Amino acid sequence: MGMTITEKIMARNSGRTAVVPGQLVWVDVHTVMTMDYLGKQCFTAFESLSPDKQLFDKQRLICVSDHLAPPPTEQFATMLNEWREIVHKYDIPYFYDLGRQGIAHQLMVEQGHVLPGKVSIGTDSHANTYGAVGAVGNAIGVTDAAIAMATGKCWFRVPESVKFVIKGTWQPWVMAKDLSLHIMGMMHWNGHLIYKTLEFTGPAIESLGMAGRMTLCNMTVDLGAKNGIIAPDATTANYLAPVQKGEWGFVSSDEDARYDAVYEVDVTQVGPTVSMPDKLDDVVPIEKVIGTKFNKAFVGTCTNGRTEDFAIMAKILEGQQIHRNVNMICIPASQSVYLECIQKGYFETLIRAGAAIETPSCGPCAGIHTGVAGDGDIVLSAGNRNMKGRMGSKNAKIFLTSPAVVAASAIKGEITDPRSQNW
Amino acid sequence: MAIITGKAWVAKNYVMSFDMILQKFWTSPINPAENAKWVMAGVAEEFNRENGFVDAGYTFIVAGHNFAGGGKSIEHCVTGLIGAGIKAVFATSFARLQFRNAINYGMPFITSKDINLECNTGDELSYNTDSGEITNLTNGKVFSSVPVAPFVAEVAASGGLMNFIRNKIADGTIQELH
Repeated sequence: MGMTITEKIMARNSGRTAVVPGQLVWVDVHTVMTMDYLGKQCFTAFESLSPDKQLFDKQRLICVSDHLAPPPTEQFATMLNEWREIVHKYDIPYFYDLGRQGIAHQLMVEQGHVLPGKVSIGTDSHANTYGAVGAVGNAIGVTDAAIAMATGKCWFRVPESVKFVIKGTWQPWVMAKDLSLHIMGMMHWNGHLIYKTLEFTGPAIESLGMAGRMTLCNMTVDLGAKNGIIAPDATTANYLAPVQKGEWGFVSSDEDARYDAVYEVDVTQVGPTVSMPDKLDDVVPIEKVIGTKFNKAFVGTCTNGRTEDFAIMAKILEGQQIHRNVNMICIPASQSVYLECIQKGYFETLIRAGAAIETPSCGPCAGIHTGVAGDGDIVLSAGNRNMKGRMGSKNAKIFLTSPAVVAASAIKGEITDPRSQNW
Repeated sequence: MAIITGKAWVAKNYVMSFDMILQKFWTSPINPAENAKWVMAGVAEEFNRENGFVDAGYTFIVAGHNFAGGGKSIEHCVTGLIGAGIKAVFATSFARLQFRNAINYGMPFITSKDINLECNTGDELSYNTDSGEITNLTNGKVFSSVPVAPFVAEVAASGGLMNFIRNKIADGTIQELH
């Protein structure tokens, strides 16, 4: 019996020739990511564990300031100072602090800290993003991080695999986010796919760039999945070549690998898609909500804060004006993305259209800072979650969609199909 | 054989982790007694006061689909319930991340089909930790549950994964983790 890509990665990194779903294995982790929000707790727990306080490999502990930086309150400023103090104490070489910052998951991928065929873990739920390069990326808590910091290991129950074969041709202005929300509608929020590994394959995945692959794998956490993964190919290799920190080899599923289920999606049939407020899987094609008014627009996050996302927005908003009743916030996912968007002129276009650009951070996605939602706000967001209270007030409503839909809709202040015009 | 008996609080589907622990406590130190003071504060208005959930004196939570979901890495959801005296949570399904955190803290998160449809808040339940059988003593209904994996039981017997690892470091078997 063959193995799926996730099974192979778990076998290889636990010193086995084969594993089967349900098996419990201790895996060697390639990198551990922690961030300002929980990082100090990770170090404290680690210190309580290891008498000699020796990190497994400080080159492979990645520390990031993203949830709290820049700090919105005195309390968070103090927390950030404590965080910096402990990271400096351990002389961590890869510390992405304010000035060199970004959202952890973006940095882990764009800086080459996750590699195909390896396992990386992080203390934030969207660590599933790392599957975009063919790594097993998994979210863990402080305990798991502390143990991995000391031992380089993490326990896993080998998940059952589910395959999505994505066929067809991408329609103009349709993005990976639309496919992601479409699948959310099919499979339900934390529904049938709970605990499973999701493998995306097929011609429409092969033609997808790394930004889209990251979006797709990122959102698998909200399908309830353990991880999402795309086998590495030439696109992956080209992306990683200038940044990769370590050697890697190609890995893919065997032809006779076993799947719990295989689903086919024809992306030709997927149009711009919207998740209705409060429940991620309450998903509709854009036609059902055209004309819905909103007053806040947000594009950023580890889901959709990449150069490609702002490129498509700039194409739509070139020479246009965002509606006077709409406040748009755009937050690049990292300093590299920020710089690239400046160099390519995307942010000039967005600023001229009336958007506010903020320094890289998680921003208001988790309702922490830089633009949280207040009572009565109706937010059109290209983020990842829209539960009540997610972005701040429980009396705000959040529609989730793609950056293209946010840009096209911001002009009129109402939800608009980006296919309705030749931008 | 261990039998735990006590009163249950019955939740709806989709109890969210960020309602179990409000945002202002996400960065609090891990301390079950402290984390318990405001646990479940955002889940139900009756618990939205200091020690609201603790004072209610429940032993079990019975929930439906995706208990502790919404994707937060915080462990306070689990430590808060431990501090509040909860001995087990029975649900039709759990969110992956908190399910993992519960295992790491030796807190039984037990999957049981349809249990939420046959229990009401305040019912007395008994849980047989060996057989996994859950009995609603108030209405006489009996439920089976998904067996606890040996590793999970071993971690719980050690008092959580941190102690499990400490023991392995102390006895020199840490390199044998496989």
